[in-house]
Amino acid sequence: MKSPLALRVLGTAALAAVVLWTVVPLIWMLMGSFKSTAQVTSPDPVFFFLPTLENYVRLFTGANNLSPYLLHSVVAAVGSSVIATVLGTLGGYGLSRTKMKGKASLSFWFISTRMAPIAAVVLPLFLMFRLAGLVDTLPGLILAYLSFNLPFAVWIMSAFFDGVPPSLEESARVAGCTPWQAFWHVALPLSKAGLVTTAVLCLVFAWNDYAFATIISGPNSQTLPIAATQLVTQTGVDWGQLTAIGTIVVLPMILAGIAVRRWLVTGMTLGAVTGE
Amino acid sequence: MSATRTDAPAKRAAVVRASGGNPRRKERIGFTGWLMAPSVGLLGLLSIVPLVALIAMSFSRVRLLGGVRFEWVGLDNWARALGDPELWKSWGLTIGYFLGTLGVEMALGLAIALLISRVTRGRGPLMVLVLLPMFVAPSIVGLLGRYLVDPTFGLYAWFLRGFGFGGDVLGNPTTAFLAVTLMDVWEWTPLIVLIALAGLTSVNPSVLEAAALDGAGSWATLRHVILPSISGILLVALLIRSMDAVRYFDIITVTTNGGPADATKIVPLRLFETGFRFFDLGYAAVIGLMMLAVTIAVARLFVRLLNGKAAQS
Repeated sequence: MKSPLALRVLGTAALAAVVLWTVVPLIWMLMGSFKSTAQVTSPDPVFFFLPTLENYVRLFTGANNLSPYLLHSVVAAVGSSVIATVLGTLGGYGLSRTKMKGKASLSFWFISTRMAPIAAVVLPLFLMFRLAGLVDTLPGLILAYLSFNLPFAVWIMSAFFDGVPPSLEESARVAGCTPWQAFWHVALPLSKAGLVTTAVLCLVFAWNDYAFATIISGPNSQTLPIAATQLVTQTGVDWGQLTAIGTIVVLPMILAGIAVRRWLVTGMTLGAVTGE
Repeated sequence: MSATRTDAPAKRAAVVRASGGNPRRKERIGFTGWLMAPSVGLLGLLSIVPLVALIAMSFSRVRLLGGVRFEWVGLDNWARALGDPELWKSWGLTIGYFLGTLGVEMALGLAIALLISRVTRGRGPLMVLVLLPMFVAPSIVGLLGRYLVDPTFGLYAWFLRGFGFGGDVLGNPTTAFLAVTLMDVWEWTPLIVLIALAGLTSVNPSVLEAAALDGAGSWATLRHVILPSISGILLVALLIRSMDAVRYFDIITVTTNGGPADATKIVPLRLFETGFRFFDLGYAAVIGLMMLAVTIAVARLFVRLLNGKAAQS
């Protein structure tokens, strides 16, 4: 199907506009992080400048060192992602293969827990954590992130396991494998891509969280997004540092997301849509 | 003594192994049940207990001084919610925000997906560039948005000045609402593109050729061939985004925090304010349960749709 030249030019122009729309804010943030304070808040935008590492250096030296925040973010995100993926893989396989009666209700429970409004969940969780002494601790934050990552992992892994024909495991069973061996040596290797996608998406969801961290975390457990918003004060905003933190928060997640691009549709639609 | 202690788990493991496939010695829980047990247990703790607590809170006045204490107040909180014009105004704003973001995201996402579906060379890198906003933490989207529309040095504000708009975008109720809507659109339209594109690539090319042979123009093809065949997938996209639209409120929190003059105070923000600024946890619980009801209704639709799809294939 060939379209007229004019239409194709128009299409290309529209696509260029789309790409500019999605990319310009991120490029501008990246550029801002390498600008001096005067350049980053110049009334006329500065497009050409000599890049400086000043903002990053200031972030990791001096009074408000970012390193503890970075550490908290990494521990909370990786911790909840690993636990969610391990438990979710086991649970998801169980959910996919079980023939129990309440299967439909059980899976509905998983998905509604995943989708529960954060504002509604954090309210009772805050009280529970207060009673249990988990407020402002990293285990508390990991648990809070598990409240959405675990049901996500179970649900999505179950969708991935649904794509593995059970007949393969049945023949393994006939050949003398235990149910565990059939799971471990047959079903699991075939779902490796799903496993990686699940882990990466859990990592992104937890790393990007702001709502839970603002309530559950405190001085001993604050994460990067909190550190970023704390730079916004009544007296003014240090946009140089802010764009630098933004870059540190965003860059690893973009790389991780792109790495699992092929399975992203499945992951983000909770298994409702399968990609090419 | 130590021998029996180590024996017990081993014996249990043996029972589990045997129960999976052997119908004669079938245990009540079974192999799949044991696999689900840790997730169900942990999630029960993180979901059922909070739900019960939330319901209890909604009938109580919660005191935080010297531990946590609940004082039964009956239906007071619920009655207050029904007669609270401020809360209903928030629900109105939520619906507006919801329709605005979802409407624009669906239309724009579909349009972009249609454009990209015609690209044959370099589609991979193109998709990467289009998808980028999706991975950005919503709080950073909000902060970045603030930086871009700052009246003195924002890049987008500078552009807008070129077009004759010189005001403070986030300082005016109308433009502030528009701005937070567009920030959400920026972040989540790529998801719709991704989903719609998966639908478009699954449309059978021979159907498209047949339509072209029958002399259908591109608009007619889109309306009568393409849209009907991807309507299921678009509905999935819509439902997923609806549930997320109730979930996320980070962008608004870090940009306007509900202002100016409550113009962007959607329900989750009001809940946060009620619960964590005024510490009126009982009333906040009522708002939370209202939000939860909305999510569960949408989730029901989503699951029904999913099961319908499974039944067809």
